[in-house]
Amino acid sequence: MTVIHASRYAVTRVIGSLMALALVAGCATPPPADDKEAVAEWEQINDPLEPFNRGVFDFNLAADKYAFKPAAQAYRYVMPKFGRDRVHNVLTNLNSPLIFANDLLQGEADRAVQTLFRAMINTSFGLLGYADVAAEAGIPPHEEDFGQTLAVWGVGEGPFLMLPVFGPSNPRDGIGLVAEFFADPFDIAMANAGKEWISYTRFGFTGLDKREGLLDTLDEIERTSLDFYASLRSLYRQHRASEIKNGRGGPAKVPSPGMTGSASPSRNAELSQKAQ
Amino acid sequence: MMLRRTFLAALTGLMLCLGHSPSSASAAEQDPKVFVTDLAAKAMETMTAKGLSDHDRAMRFRSLFTTEVDVHEIAKFVLGRYWRAASPEQQQEFLKRFEDIVVLTWSTRFKDYGGDLRHTVGAVAQEGERDIVVASKVERQNQPPIALQWRLRQGETGLRVVDLFVEGSSMSITYRSEYASVIQSNGGKVDGLLAAMRTKIAQLKAEPANKGN
Repeated sequence: MTVIHASRYAVTRVIGSLMALALVAGCATPPPADDKEAVAEWEQINDPLEPFNRGVFDFNLAADKYAFKPAAQAYRYVMPKFGRDRVHNVLTNLNSPLIFANDLLQGEADRAVQTLFRAMINTSFGLLGYADVAAEAGIPPHEEDFGQTLAVWGVGEGPFLMLPVFGPSNPRDGIGLVAEFFADPFDIAMANAGKEWISYTRFGFTGLDKREGLLDTLDEIERTSLDFYASLRSLYRQHRASEIKNGRGGPAKVPSPGMTGSASPSRNAELSQKAQ
Repeated sequence: MMLRRTFLAALTGLMLCLGHSPSSASAAEQDPKVFVTDLAAKAMETMTAKGLSDHDRAMRFRSLFTTEVDVHEIAKFVLGRYWRAASPEQQQEFLKRFEDIVVLTWSTRFKDYGGDLRHTVGAVAQEGERDIVVASKVERQNQPPIALQWRLRQGETGLRVVDLFVEGSSMSITYRSEYASVIQSNGGKVDGLLAAMRTKIAQLKAEPANKGN
């Protein structure tokens, strides 16, 4: 009990002081206000803390190179695909309470029902999530998190933020991360039962599962990009925007090739209305 | 044995290309769904065909890419405000380097999937006055499907791709944002970007993707 509380306390301390540090650490210099195109680009990239973020990114790359990536590679090496898929299913099932809560908080009744049914089917017939019976029965999994819920409620993303270990984020999604860390019903139940080791094991496997799933993708992006950091920043922000809309509306809100500069706001508003 | 197979594959590829080009030019009103289905099938065939050297793969991918994709339009968008600042020579070089990078990046990306990929086309939507967006997905065994969106535009010779969205992320916007960042870190100079692109191309050619799946 105390252990997990202490660690949670430490996490908030660390994240809190990082945010404070980010505020005082080097900020990128905004372009002069009379250069309209440069200002538009600055706003679109949305990364005023870039020097700080790149510093954190370098730290992450080093930590990844010597710890996370080798661990994920070892996991892939020792555990056959079949086993990794079962672990993934169990972890997904353990996330159901949080996903269900976020579905509800976003007013997505259909998706909440899907999550509930999936959890019921997979926990029982799927042996605590071991097999994803629900997906085979035609209820595919989906993800939700508190950062997305905040976005649905109208909270803006804020400036881009590179978190240590957790990677690309922003203040809104960072707060979502911390909130979920404290609110996870499964972890709370384990803490109350004095079985924190289960939560730690889950946390470790979640990390392995995530990093293993990204091994090829991240290698490819790093291999082919001129600026790994800038690529990830753009991919993360676009992917989040699409996740928040649950894949609906698609590319409506982004400028298309041929329209030089950024899209006009009126056109954006019109398109996104049409999309809904 | 190996050589014969490679030769056969190259020959089939050549015949496919020859057989294809007149039809795409003659069709004035193409069905966007059919266009995307055909294009994805050909791209996937190129990317996953076995017994093909990376060099041949890149060549076949390049011919597909330059006929079905509006590289010029995309390159202009990707360079954004720096396109107009660039000299005609810089623009020409950028077009060439950009094509190289895209071909080298994408021609080997799905090599290891073999025949496990299944591509299905979904909804078609009009976007603005000129563009059509076709949604599709790629299904892989035991893995969540990848959602794609193809942005197409009617040109003089028929439909052409002007952007591809992978899981909601536009490839043009990603390139644009990345290249702007490279130009910024080179003091706002397009030449800095071109130099970085040359280095990257040499690197990509020297050490092709080696994925241990």
